[in-house]
Amino acid sequence: MNKIFKNSAVARAMLLGIALSFTAFTSFGQRTITGTVFSADGNEPLIGATIQIKGSATGTISDIDGAFSIRATNSDTLVFSYIGFLPREVLVGAQSTIDVALETDAVNMEEVVVIGYGTQRERDLISAISTVESEDIIKTPTPQAMQSLQGRVAGVQIVSNGAPGGAPTVRIRGVGSFEGAGAPLYVVDGMFVDNIDFLNPSDIETMSVLKDASSAAIYGVRAGNGVVLITTKSGSFNQAPQITYDGYYGIQNPQNVIQMSNAQQFAQYIQETGSAADQGFIDNAMQRYGRSTVDPNIPAVNTDWYDLIMSPAPMQSHNVSFSGGTNQTKYSIGLGFIDQEGLLNETRNEFQRFNIRTRVDAILTDWLTVGGNINGSHATRYDGSNAAWFNAYHSVPILPKTDTLNTAASEPQLANAQSLGYRGLQNPFYSLIYNDNQNKIINLVGNFYAQAQIIPDKLSFKTQYNYNFGSINNRSVSFAFNDGVTDRVSSLRRSQQTRFDQVWDNFLTYNDNFGKHNLKVTAGQSYRSESVEGLFARGTELDPNPTRDNEELWYLDRALNFEQDGIGDFGSNLFFMSYFGRLSYNFDDRYLLYGTYRADGNNKFQTKWNNFATIGGGWIVTGEPFFNISGIDFLKLRASWGQLGNDAISPAVGTPTLNPGRLTVFNGAPVEGRVFDPTFDLIDRPETTVETNFGLDARFFKDRLSISADYFIRDTRNLAIFIEQPLIRGAVRRSLGEIRNEGLEVTANWTGGTGDFRYNIGGNFATLNNQVLSLGGADFQQTGGEFLQRSTVGGSYLAFFGYEINGVFQSQADIDNSGYTEEFLTNTNLAPGDFFFRDQNGDGEINDEDRVALGSFLPDLTFGANLGFSWKNIDFSMLLQGQMGHQILNRKRGEIIFTNDTNIDAELFNNLWRGNGTSDRYPSAAGLRKGWNQNSSEYFIEDGDFWRIQNVQVGYTFGNEGSPNANMPTVRLYATAERPLTVFDYNGFNPEVPNGIDRQVYPVAAVYTLGLNVKF
Amino acid sequence: MKTIKIVFKVTMALLLSATILPSCQDIVDEPLQNVQPAEGVDYTRSEDMVLLIQGAYGEFNFLQWETFPVISVRGDDVNAAGDQFPLTETDAFRYDRSFWMYNSAWLNLYGDIINSNGLIEGVNRFKENGADAQLADQYIAEIRVMRAFAYLQAARLWGDLFIFESSDPTTLVDLEISEFEEVMQHISDQMDLAIPDLPDARPNQRTDIQNGITRYAALALKAYANLELKNWQEAVNATDEIISSGLFELYPDFYDAFNIPGKNSNESILELQYSDFGQSSGTNTRYLWNFFGPASYSPAVEGIGGGWGFWEPNEKFIKFMLDRGEETRLIGSVNFTPDGIASIESDPSYSPLPDFVTNVSPDGDIFNNHPRYNFQSAKHYMPSNQYTPGRTTFGENNNFRVIRYAEVLLMHAEALVSGASSSVMSADEAVNMVRERAEMPALTTVDLDAVLDEKYAELAMEWGHRFYDLVRHDRVEELGHDINGEQVSYQRNERYLPYPLLQLDLLPQLKDHNNNE
Repeated sequence: MNKIFKNSAVARAMLLGIALSFTAFTSFGQRTITGTVFSADGNEPLIGATIQIKGSATGTISDIDGAFSIRATNSDTLVFSYIGFLPREVLVGAQSTIDVALETDAVNMEEVVVIGYGTQRERDLISAISTVESEDIIKTPTPQAMQSLQGRVAGVQIVSNGAPGGAPTVRIRGVGSFEGAGAPLYVVDGMFVDNIDFLNPSDIETMSVLKDASSAAIYGVRAGNGVVLITTKSGSFNQAPQITYDGYYGIQNPQNVIQMSNAQQFAQYIQETGSAADQGFIDNAMQRYGRSTVDPNIPAVNTDWYDLIMSPAPMQSHNVSFSGGTNQTKYSIGLGFIDQEGLLNETRNEFQRFNIRTRVDAILTDWLTVGGNINGSHATRYDGSNAAWFNAYHSVPILPKTDTLNTAASEPQLANAQSLGYRGLQNPFYSLIYNDNQNKIINLVGNFYAQAQIIPDKLSFKTQYNYNFGSINNRSVSFAFNDGVTDRVSSLRRSQQTRFDQVWDNFLTYNDNFGKHNLKVTAGQSYRSESVEGLFARGTELDPNPTRDNEELWYLDRALNFEQDGIGDFGSNLFFMSYFGRLSYNFDDRYLLYGTYRADGNNKFQTKWNNFATIGGGWIVTGEPFFNISGIDFLKLRASWGQLGNDAISPAVGTPTLNPGRLTVFNGAPVEGRVFDPTFDLIDRPETTVETNFGLDARFFKDRLSISADYFIRDTRNLAIFIEQPLIRGAVRRSLGEIRNEGLEVTANWTGGTGDFRYNIGGNFATLNNQVLSLGGADFQQTGGEFLQRSTVGGSYLAFFGYEINGVFQSQADIDNSGYTEEFLTNTNLAPGDFFFRDQNGDGEINDEDRVALGSFLPDLTFGANLGFSWKNIDFSMLLQGQMGHQILNRKRGEIIFTNDTNIDAELFNNLWRGNGTSDRYPSAAGLRKGWNQNSSEYFIEDGDFWRIQNVQVGYTFGNEGSPNANMPTVRLYATAERPLTVFDYNGFNPEVPNGIDRQVYPVAAVYTLGLNVKF
Repeated sequence: MKTIKIVFKVTMALLLSATILPSCQDIVDEPLQNVQPAEGVDYTRSEDMVLLIQGAYGEFNFLQWETFPVISVRGDDVNAAGDQFPLTETDAFRYDRSFWMYNSAWLNLYGDIINSNGLIEGVNRFKENGADAQLADQYIAEIRVMRAFAYLQAARLWGDLFIFESSDPTTLVDLEISEFEEVMQHISDQMDLAIPDLPDARPNQRTDIQNGITRYAALALKAYANLELKNWQEAVNATDEIISSGLFELYPDFYDAFNIPGKNSNESILELQYSDFGQSSGTNTRYLWNFFGPASYSPAVEGIGGGWGFWEPNEKFIKFMLDRGEETRLIGSVNFTPDGIASIESDPSYSPLPDFVTNVSPDGDIFNNHPRYNFQSAKHYMPSNQYTPGRTTFGENNNFRVIRYAEVLLMHAEALVSGASSSVMSADEAVNMVRERAEMPALTTVDLDAVLDEKYAELAMEWGHRFYDLVRHDRVEELGHDINGEQVSYQRNERYLPYPLLQLDLLPQLKDHNNNE
């Protein structure tokens, strides 16, 4: 509604366009009729109302004052219609002026929500569906549309990904599956896709998040992790052509960069460890590169690797779209380009994507509508080496970037830590300079549909064919180089993967009213196929040696040799057939009943057919005649139960298999042979979820305040889990897990204002309790080896597991009084500066019995808050969000258990134990290297709590109000700050770590952009 | 009404088109791509049986880097020089069941055992379906030897173990633990089963599977097991057979016996096979030699890579060799750095060192000082002039020596001086044959001391022989040695490593079992 009133210029333009186009249709016997269209209740002019001559294509629309003018004959009937109002028909007769008042349509005024295979009035919903509109999506400067949901939708956890083109991790209502990161199903205009990283956020009209089982169950076996319905933009009927440009340019700025120990701190740390060998490396550094002029016991070199490997990076996006429509055809065309450069230096680290889309819908006859769209995307992604992030944390600060003494090394003579005595090269620039990893990604999603009205306004049939073609072409090159000691040969790995998916839906929708009974029934069938195939090969010693300057020669046929186990071929062909139905019933706008059923057949699992049903009801309390509480405009209570499936897990045939063996030499030739794998996986069915949801929706104070709340219990069974086997490496997968996610989601919004000032304020939060119910009879399952994560029945899935820490032993007396037995202390060799682990069972020994769960990587609480206002031409919006109660394994610090050759972060250095009373958090420098302190314990597990100013946007719209010139464009200038501030205690770049294990996470940068939006 | 008729026609057409789709049942019965269930293997295709033995050798030749040092680090012959805390602690006889290497070595060895069980089942099915029975039995015998080798190493580390024939690890949950002696007896019995089916040849005489397992590897394993059981005569019966076959001889040059020239020589009874296939790059199979390689050196051939420098001969061993006047075996066992030479010379009784002690290898590679080590194992070193042109990764193309004829001779002598008798060869003859190759004078009398010293000199840094020999003869006080200035000594309840913590979680019976009692 508001939109239509606001865009008066648009209305003018439309009027002009339409008026011009209809002047040509003047014919004999016609005369000009003029009039005004206004609302019956408020007496306000209706701008853009449609006035059509019944039974013909002739029509016009009302102008800014609600006025219209049309040529008609006396026998014509004019049909007046307007969104949210009941249409009205008026016979022209002798009238030359017709003023019409339209009554509001209480039913249709309601917002319509996109649901699976159709739409539904928001009022009739008994489900938990959150819708995000285009204007909010494009506020976030990112190539990834899902990123914009962070903090906006209660119950949807988004874990950002900082790598250029990297898609965030999305979890709807916790984790209900552990393969494919429990990602939801995305339905793009009817096509099923696993992610939407190919979509241009600007092309999206709405995203509907189907959070609960009642809304998602119509998608059956694909819906277990929730469903996100995406509708791309289309034109409108009777809309004048419109051209829009929207673009921004900005800078991504790394923030919360970890401080590492500098050379002085590192030298002190090494000296504190008492390790002669490590002291020897420092002596070597001083010999080779000189001593600090300040302190001759410190090497002159003091390298800040993070500072060297990254810098702020630009990002830009440009979108142009055209849309419009006649009364029979509407169209929309869009072209987009985004370029996101990565933070890494001296390597190609960038994401570029072109998007092009067209959509056309046409009313062919009064009973047949057809349409279709094509959405193509072509992206190039250069992945910087992740090893650089790992190395930047671990590389010693006493190593320079380049070293002229490293004479045998290739240009630019990078320093090699081996020349100081360390085991590895360490220098992150080796992986940056001598590698290139390029992905060309093509995605084409399209559909064609035809919809027939079999019984007008009652029964319709729709058939829709959806198509998705995707291709990933990877070229990964290592250049030949010498590190000063070793010659490394060049190599090239190419892989090509194509996928082709199709979905064909056919369904009938029946709509009818009998008195106070309103009924909507949908029944249909869907066929789906997914096929993937791919090839890869790796060759070595390219001629000529690949360099950044001869990219045109990076071809496999220039390789001298190939690796037998570097060549492979893979593919899969999956087929699905489904039948589905839905019934939605409304009695007197008071009582709601809703149910769906879907049967899914597949060739993926041994269990061929799976059935999914849902049933739910709602009560619109405010619809009752007895309800009369002022201030409460609307109150709906709802409850539902439903079943969902998740087939996005790898099937396993459940018998021992003969697998290709290890490459070995056999009679002088490389062979692979076969090995018998007795530890077969058995995944013979999809994962199934049963969910119960209770909710309420309410609006107060003339709809200014709206509140929505949901409470859910979501049990997933047949969960594919890893079951660790004794005596062999690896674990087997079985459909044996059962897990519960339970939580409360609350969203509240307030809108208000006076005069030119409008404001809104809102907030949402969601709690989540994740609990393992069953592990196929076992008490627990664990993974992670030295950094143990254990799922225990009754506990959280994959909770970190180890010793709790009472503190650090400050003195020998502390150790003697620790409560550990004398025998244990004799055998254990503890010293002050070692951890005081909690003896949970009080037996005086620290052993496996004393390990406990140390927290989960899943947040208990996610929240968001938004604030916005507009005053005259200025608009402002701000979004806050946070996640709390989750733990992160600081695996970067944990790496010390595999090698001592590394630097430590400054926070750790500053708080090492250095004598009685100095630190109760960290052990001594020597202690860091002791096995005792390297046990899996709270030391490695840190709180991940954070809150963040997610997005701030300020815009100014250049005035066009009152301007008579409809050709004058609307121009809006805006500035955005994305993630300008994140507050957390965790010792890392970012508290957002998808699986809670922080080994080398790409930093998530703050983004500052300036944008321009122009509409003609 | 006319419109509605049209609508129905169109609708019917659309619905009909839907039936063109493949029928439901066809769709859901489509097979998955590229998955071959073992049930679906055509066991009547006898020519495919060779794939199983190829797979078996693939697993056998694949030895993860941490397995060997865990097995071998505890003696007074070698130190763990690197940054691996679990290894240095283990060398100092300080064990911790949560050390990642213990669990990893356990999994590697048991993985081989379970894989062998599965492959034996597979070969048997080919046999039942008409494959050449003699060939099938030979394959099974070869796999039995691989499996026995894994049992031997695992039992040396943990003593009491699970023995089982199943390929399904889930059947182990209730399995009882067998005592160390039972494991050794099992190995011996298994070898008795295997020996008749194995080729009577030297590995490098085999043509069907070049350098594969022959009955002499089985006999050597039988000798190991019986030495551990102190069934001295049984051990000699096995070594007698190897010696009397006349197939084996010591490679003349001790230094090159461990290098490319000595690869698959007539001395070799068992070797892990690797190759670069003679190509300058591309396909290769290799052991992760980096573990042993020099972390700082100037190779005679530039561009050849080094390693981590983790395997350092103990100074005690070097002095022992100097005391004996060993030259050939000292050069063939130890690479010296200048600091290492200086360190030994700092002891006046060893100063000056003989001229042959230098930081330049016989092939001209120069070893530089390194803060982590003074010496390197020359047995695990490959001279830079022996690489296939183009190859630069340390140790590439070399095999990993497992059982040498020299060791068989010394096991023979060990059993004889412990009470067995032989008509084939005396203890003196056996020891002197080994000494002759080492250019050491012959001994006139040989007792247990002489044999253990000879084994120390000949087998240092290889497979922990020194540790297991001294423990077997209960001469553990001799195991004391120096690690970075710290004198470590062995206590009698430290023979076996604790069961890995992660295995205790999965196999509760291990929790209540003390393997060191």
